[in-house]
Amino acid sequence: MSAKQTTTLQQDSLGAQTDWLAGASLSRQELAELEEKRKTPRQLAWDYFLIFSPLLCGLAAILEYRLVPDAFSNDNPMTYFYLLVIMLVIYGLKLAWAFFQRSRNKRQAYQDLLYLAPRKAVLFLLLLAYDVLTLKTGILTQPFIPPINQIMNIAWIDREMIILSSLHTLRLLMLGYVIGVALGLVTGIFCGYSPRFRYWLDPVIKFLGPIPTSTWIPIIMVITSNLFGGSVFIIALGVWFAVTVATMTGISNVDKSYFDVARTLGAKESQLVFRVAIPSAMPNILQGMTQGMSSACTAIMIAEMMGVKAGLGWYITWAKAWAAYDKMFASLFVISLIFTAVTKLLQAFKNYVLRWQEGGVA
Amino acid sequence: MKKSHLVLEQVSKSFPRVETDGVTHAVTNINLSVHDGEFVCLVGPSGCGKSTILRMVAGLIPPTLGKITLNGQDINGPSDECGMVFQKPTLFPWLTVENNINFSFRMDGTLDQHHAEVERILKMIGLEEFRTDYPGQLSGGMAQRVALARSLITEPRILLLDEPLGALDAFTRMNMQDEILNIWQQNRNLFMMVTHDVDEAVYMSTRILVMEPSPGRIKEDIVIDLPYPRKRSSEEFTDCRSQILAALDF
Repeated sequence: MSAKQTTTLQQDSLGAQTDWLAGASLSRQELAELEEKRKTPRQLAWDYFLIFSPLLCGLAAILEYRLVPDAFSNDNPMTYFYLLVIMLVIYGLKLAWAFFQRSRNKRQAYQDLLYLAPRKAVLFLLLLAYDVLTLKTGILTQPFIPPINQIMNIAWIDREMIILSSLHTLRLLMLGYVIGVALGLVTGIFCGYSPRFRYWLDPVIKFLGPIPTSTWIPIIMVITSNLFGGSVFIIALGVWFAVTVATMTGISNVDKSYFDVARTLGAKESQLVFRVAIPSAMPNILQGMTQGMSSACTAIMIAEMMGVKAGLGWYITWAKAWAAYDKMFASLFVISLIFTAVTKLLQAFKNYVLRWQEGGVA
Repeated sequence: MKKSHLVLEQVSKSFPRVETDGVTHAVTNINLSVHDGEFVCLVGPSGCGKSTILRMVAGLIPPTLGKITLNGQDINGPSDECGMVFQKPTLFPWLTVENNINFSFRMDGTLDQHHAEVERILKMIGLEEFRTDYPGQLSGGMAQRVALARSLITEPRILLLDEPLGALDAFTRMNMQDEILNIWQQNRNLFMMVTHDVDEAVYMSTRILVMEPSPGRIKEDIVIDLPYPRKRSSEEFTDCRSQILAALDF
């Protein structure tokens, strides 16, 4: 009897809840919270531990660096210390912001930080371990694997050279990339749209395509005395190939009914290409551009290491010749930074152009 | 209302077969004369060349033999005289609802003169608040309304509808039938629609062409002389339906 009563009661309260749900305008985040399983106190405690763990690990890294005696001399020791402090402060600020937002019932920042926290903590731990293995004990052979403090110092001391090299690399990369993309778009569109063009270009692509671009470098170095122009050619070639193939695929796979519709709406032949075929092939084209970028980044490094007398690739080989291992590591970081930035930029461009694709869900 | 007179004289169309060396005769010897003010439905089993006739009238494919004229002029290639709506909405997914609708004005560069029309038609299909959405965000019925609006906006003399409601659920479908009828009744231009649904044909059209396959030809030409709006349950309606079904050998 009482059991039955409880059921009806539960149903009633559930009904009231549902009524409230239908009337309320929920945000996506509120919905996620509503559907999220209730967490046990243990889980909540673990979450707290996780989100604070980067602070602990960062503090540990700083204390370790400052308190444990060095195994060998360490010039200008504060640089790495400042790096750690800045990283820690940034995380601390994010944490404060997340808790502030959470106190205003906006949990997104907190959730995002909770997701990132373990990775940040491990990063601090890795930095700590690296410092122990190099500066504090010398277990990793010196001077081949220098401590981070030394890498940062040398990057600052040699900044003029590094900046010049970076600019040179960027110039070469952009020039080769832009030329490659432009030519690749033209040939790709022609080949995708006109079977006659494809008839003539297909064998060229089939023959040249499989040759890795870096293989051209020795040949270019023999043929031309202008190494800069030669490198532009090599980078552009790789990009051209990637963009051509992707564009060709994209254009020739355009849903034919788009052309029918556009024609009944009065589109002329040129408009079919520019207003229908190209926009429709845009996902493929951008994929080709991304692929082209990664091939360009590889090609430029190899070109600079093998022949060109400037740029970050050259800087690395040059530093190696002088046994300046710290400079090699410094330029690695710079290369990573530059290529990451370039890729991010391309990704942002892609997201903007393909914004119509995200509408899959209503 | 735009005066139009569409004539098909001894029109045949054959396609090369994909796998073998032969050809398929899609339609043979079609003779047809239709006017503005008519709502013509083509019904028949699949493969009897209904869509082929529509595509030839639209100018998307040329007839193998025979002649198609609109007001005495040969149809060479597509133009905005003939609007066409397909079974799939085939909206351009990279354009917003509004830009899909004004596509034809952007093609001939007259968008500036036609903003009012775009507004009017957006209001008519009731999708004003979705104008900046991309087609991926629309439901099937909404997408088909946009496709309809996109073809109607140039006020074509002939509107060709190739199973426009085939992919919709039953309720949306009945609503859309009324919407299409409304549009037709406003201007009484020539509408030609392909459908598999006998009920739909009787509900909407003034004239039904019953077709039979291999090779495709017109078997019967039946005038439906019932006042609009039609009642699906009325006796006249069911009589007409039985007549069509009988023509289709059911």
